[in-house]
Amino acid sequence: MSTEGLDTFPKLLLDRAKRFGSRSAIREKDYGIWQTWNWRRVEAEVRALACGLAARGFTRGDKLAIIGDNRPRLYWGIAAAQALGGIPVPAYQDAVADEMQYVLEHAGVKFVLVEDQEQVDKVLEIQDRCPSLKEIIFDDARGLRNYDRTHLHDFEDIQQAGREFDQKNADFFEQQIAQGHGGDVAIILYTSGTTGRPKGVVLTYDNVLITARNGASFDNLTADEEVLAYLPMAWVGDHIFSYAQSYVTGFCVSCPESGATVMHDLREIGPSYFFAPPRIFENLLTSVMIRIEDAALPKRKLFDYFMRLARRVGPDILAGKEVSLVNRMAYYLGHLVVYGPLKSNMGMSRIRLAYTAGEAIGPDIFDFYRSLGINVKQLYGQTEGAVFVTLQPDGEVFPDTVGKPAPEVEIKITDNREVVYRSPGVFHSYYKNPEATRETKTEDGWVHTGDAGFFDENGHLKIIDRAKDVGKLNDGSMFAPKYIENKLKFFPHIKEAVAFGHQRDYCTAFINIDLEAVGNWAERRNLAYSSYQELASRPEVYELVQESVEKVNEDLARDPNLAASQIRRFLILHKELDADDGELTRTRKVRRNLILEKYLPLIDALYSDVQSCYVETQVTFEDGRTGKIAGDLQIRDLAAQPLMEAS
Amino acid sequence: MGSELLFFSETVISGLMAGVMYSLVALGFVLIFKASGIFNFAQGVMCLFAALALYDFLSADGWASQLLGFTIPLWLAIVLTIAVMIVLAWLIERLVLQYLVKQDPIILFMATIGLAYVLEGVGDILFGSDVKPLDIGIPQGASDWALDTMGLYVEKLEVVAAVTAALLVAVLAVFFQRTRIGRALRAVADDHQAALSVGISLRAIWVIVWSVAGIVALVAGIMWGTKSGVQFSLSLIALKALPVLILGGFTSVPGAIVGGLIIGVGEKVAEVYAGPLVGGAIENWFAYMLALAFLLFRPQGLFGERIIERV
Amino acid sequence: MTPERKFGDVILSVEHITLTFGGVLALEDVSFDIRESEIRAIIGPNGAGKSSMLNVINGFYHPQEGQIMYRGATRSKMKPHYAASHGIARTFQNIALFKGMSTLDNIMTGRNTKMKRGLFWQAIRIGPAMTEEIKHRDYVEHIIDFLEIQAIRKTPVGRLPYGMQKRVELGRALAAEPDLLLLDEPMAGMNVEEKEDMCRFILDVNEQFGTTIALIEHDMGVVMDISDRVVVLDYGKKIADGTPDEVRANQDVIDAYLGISQEEVGAVN
Repeated sequence: MSTEGLDTFPKLLLDRAKRFGSRSAIREKDYGIWQTWNWRRVEAEVRALACGLAARGFTRGDKLAIIGDNRPRLYWGIAAAQALGGIPVPAYQDAVADEMQYVLEHAGVKFVLVEDQEQVDKVLEIQDRCPSLKEIIFDDARGLRNYDRTHLHDFEDIQQAGREFDQKNADFFEQQIAQGHGGDVAIILYTSGTTGRPKGVVLTYDNVLITARNGASFDNLTADEEVLAYLPMAWVGDHIFSYAQSYVTGFCVSCPESGATVMHDLREIGPSYFFAPPRIFENLLTSVMIRIEDAALPKRKLFDYFMRLARRVGPDILAGKEVSLVNRMAYYLGHLVVYGPLKSNMGMSRIRLAYTAGEAIGPDIFDFYRSLGINVKQLYGQTEGAVFVTLQPDGEVFPDTVGKPAPEVEIKITDNREVVYRSPGVFHSYYKNPEATRETKTEDGWVHTGDAGFFDENGHLKIIDRAKDVGKLNDGSMFAPKYIENKLKFFPHIKEAVAFGHQRDYCTAFINIDLEAVGNWAERRNLAYSSYQELASRPEVYELVQESVEKVNEDLARDPNLAASQIRRFLILHKELDADDGELTRTRKVRRNLILEKYLPLIDALYSDVQSCYVETQVTFEDGRTGKIAGDLQIRDLAAQPLMEAS
Repeated sequence: MGSELLFFSETVISGLMAGVMYSLVALGFVLIFKASGIFNFAQGVMCLFAALALYDFLSADGWASQLLGFTIPLWLAIVLTIAVMIVLAWLIERLVLQYLVKQDPIILFMATIGLAYVLEGVGDILFGSDVKPLDIGIPQGASDWALDTMGLYVEKLEVVAAVTAALLVAVLAVFFQRTRIGRALRAVADDHQAALSVGISLRAIWVIVWSVAGIVALVAGIMWGTKSGVQFSLSLIALKALPVLILGGFTSVPGAIVGGLIIGVGEKVAEVYAGPLVGGAIENWFAYMLALAFLLFRPQGLFGERIIERV
Repeated sequence: MTPERKFGDVILSVEHITLTFGGVLALEDVSFDIRESEIRAIIGPNGAGKSSMLNVINGFYHPQEGQIMYRGATRSKMKPHYAASHGIARTFQNIALFKGMSTLDNIMTGRNTKMKRGLFWQAIRIGPAMTEEIKHRDYVEHIIDFLEIQAIRKTPVGRLPYGMQKRVELGRALAAEPDLLLLDEPMAGMNVEEKEDMCRFILDVNEQFGTTIALIEHDMGVVMDISDRVVVLDYGKKIADGTPDEVRANQDVIDAYLGISQEEVGAVN
């Protein structure tokens, strides 16, 4: 494929329309039917829109905000803005008006392209506070009949005006496109930022195009992939997977009918290339398991039998390793009766390649999909690097690493264990925030990720925690609390865990059991309990949790970097950590410092040799009343495992 | 094949075939019950009536032939009988059902009992009460092919009945699932009041359902009539359909089929293998015992909608 | 945002309607009219005769006295079949959907009055009947899109949550392209979010298709927000009729609502 001179998306679009005009480019389910646009039609739509925008006064350097669910017209908005030398600024569609105002105002947005009335209302609410804002364009006219149309336009009207403009200015569109170059700004993506205001990551065409191409060639993506665009358009992942790589390789992207139909559309489209955060893989698995538990006994037995087989031989078959003929045949049989129907039910029967990223995925969940023959891999990426930093190559897939450096990416680990990288995808700057740019990106192009990690013996990167949270044990070895906590939380019986060890002699942990999972477990064993506290204090439950902790220790012992962080003492908390009590954030992240303070006596007990400790805690109930929970907590000791050879 | 196994196969096959005949009758019940909640006691008599009418159209001294002056060909006779059944459905709606809308099911059930007597009487007056051999050219006797290749004794008539039943069910399924009338029928079966509010005419739907049930009755009547002659005892097969319905569920078309097959096979196998132990005649009561057992353990039948008591 | 609304002529008027059930008076000499393109609410405490009024309009009940003028024709009683085929569609307080059928099929039944006769062609679904089916399906898909119920298109409605069923029922009524849409407590039993959604749909229907809507509601707060004119019934009699503001200020209305349970008073405020 010749990519000579095709250094912007609009140029790619013209090329695709010319050479592969009749191939499908984008699809949308509307009124129950999949409507498809080929590249020639996409070019015509983008041309009409771009000319319409120009007719309304959109010029080079202007910003076009894009707000809404994944719709073909919104994707065309990106291309149209780029064609005119403008800059698309996708914003999160579920942002409240205030958050949206910040983005629109900060980016100095002039035009807004939105999906429907909901977004129009939001933009109208904040337009007084965004002086740069001139025109609003909507896709779906529903409910907007009586709105003032002076600065509010129907997408179709803009396109109609564009077609007239195009007739009068025949070469305008091509000329505008020809003026764009690889070094120009392609897009500004605002990172949702857990702390402080979101930052606008400025990416150039070179950033996005080169990484998208590298990613595509790394995994041999072709024009025949099927992709479902269902993640927010403002997120860099969607921009790369559903826009950039589609333009680069020519594959067709399908937009779901609505947010609620995604699972259904997934089944209909049967994507071959799929990205989902771990949460989605987890939810899919849960819904499958619930249905299996409701199934009749013979079906359940069949499922259990073949899933055991799959877990044993599936990953090896997927990795192309040696597997005995008998096992292969049994696996094939399993495919006929269990795996095949299961995959087709989850919309995954055609998946050739799936990625997950964003946070750690539970090894059980990861193995489940891989054992079914679904090639799920992990990657590590950032908006600042146009996604790809590391990728797992086929045949080298492990549940607890994020893979090897992507093509043309260099990675270093700093002295304080922070991962830094340099790549063609490294962002231009944070928009209007040189200070933050300087803090994150060095003069010679290295980006500080803020994540702590290291390379394991296979040359794979392991991300363990945020760099600022990584501490040291007294013997100087590394202590990564979140890594340990995640490992604990992958066990279904453990809901939350808080690990301690910074500036201590050894590691300890608080455990929260999962009331539902452990409750079911207790019921099956006829263990009576009347409250969380009572269940949590049962010796049988302690045994159960201890087993899990020991498994985590075994795992840690395999890794020379982490072997010292084995948990030596733990206790099960008498209450569930709760956002209402300030112990968790609303997004269920542990507030470490608050817990350190609040439960100081318990932590002291963990670092003494007492076997139990009395505690009294104030709690807030759901109705807002407060009360006290008190009791003696037992503390369990564990022996450290010797450092083991990696298997 | 060993003779033991051969014998068993023959028993099962003849049971299956007999079961198909039961299913045909039960089907008519299900249709009407589904659409209107009426248990149509007259379904058996409708089979009889249809067979009588068809016989009369076909015979040279039947009054239709005398009226027209020539013997009516088979296809026309069947079309005419269907017409008779449709007119009958229309009359039933006109004269009986329309006055009983919104009445208790038991009252409607009583009305169908009355209807059964009226139909039987009218049939007697119009066509006479003698046994009439119905022959519309369905092959009878053993299937040579089955006998030659596998040594199995299979009645040709029963094969025809099975194929016809399968066709009938397929046509009904398409009719119910894929057509607008089918949709309207399902709507009426689901909620009368809602159906009225979207402008579905209840009376038209009832005529359609009874007509379809009449056509199904005609098919059943032809099969039974060919097998054992058209006689008034035919109306009693309605009683055999009752256990089939209990097994299959009153509202399920597949239930009627499977129920019929289970009862057919069950009673044949029980007769042959358990009969000698209890002195035979199991065939006469086996179906009812099975139905009783179902009433105790699974009152909604195999395929019926689960019965949920509203509190 | 909404400019001054203009209403057309009277589309339906009930004149001196009296309805009794075996001597029990359900409606007594009730008269009011409904104008084209307005949202008309009928409110009142429990047992005020609201549902009876709706049932008279759509022909389920036949009044002993009085008459109904609809589209210029005066009749002493409506018939459900006539009402349906002349542009009156309705929903029910206790949801009367076809529970065993899918959302799509339920809404398709709403097209019943729009389908041409010709039972035979319909039955075998070929030629013109097939084209017609596609045309109707297309219309129904627009309704599904409008009500945002794509995700439950093929789900049997019996399995849907209550709020969704209400939405499907609205869809079925809309499928008839009604001139007059009767809604019997469209928001009963819904949570706040579902109520908001339903209000939006009702307003959108009225705005987008110009459909005249008559609705009964228990929850006065919601009604006052979305209706153009309100009739208040109490013990089968009309005690007030006017704009929401007029009705709110009416002493009889205040008394009627104060005369009953605390909970109702809560609903007024």
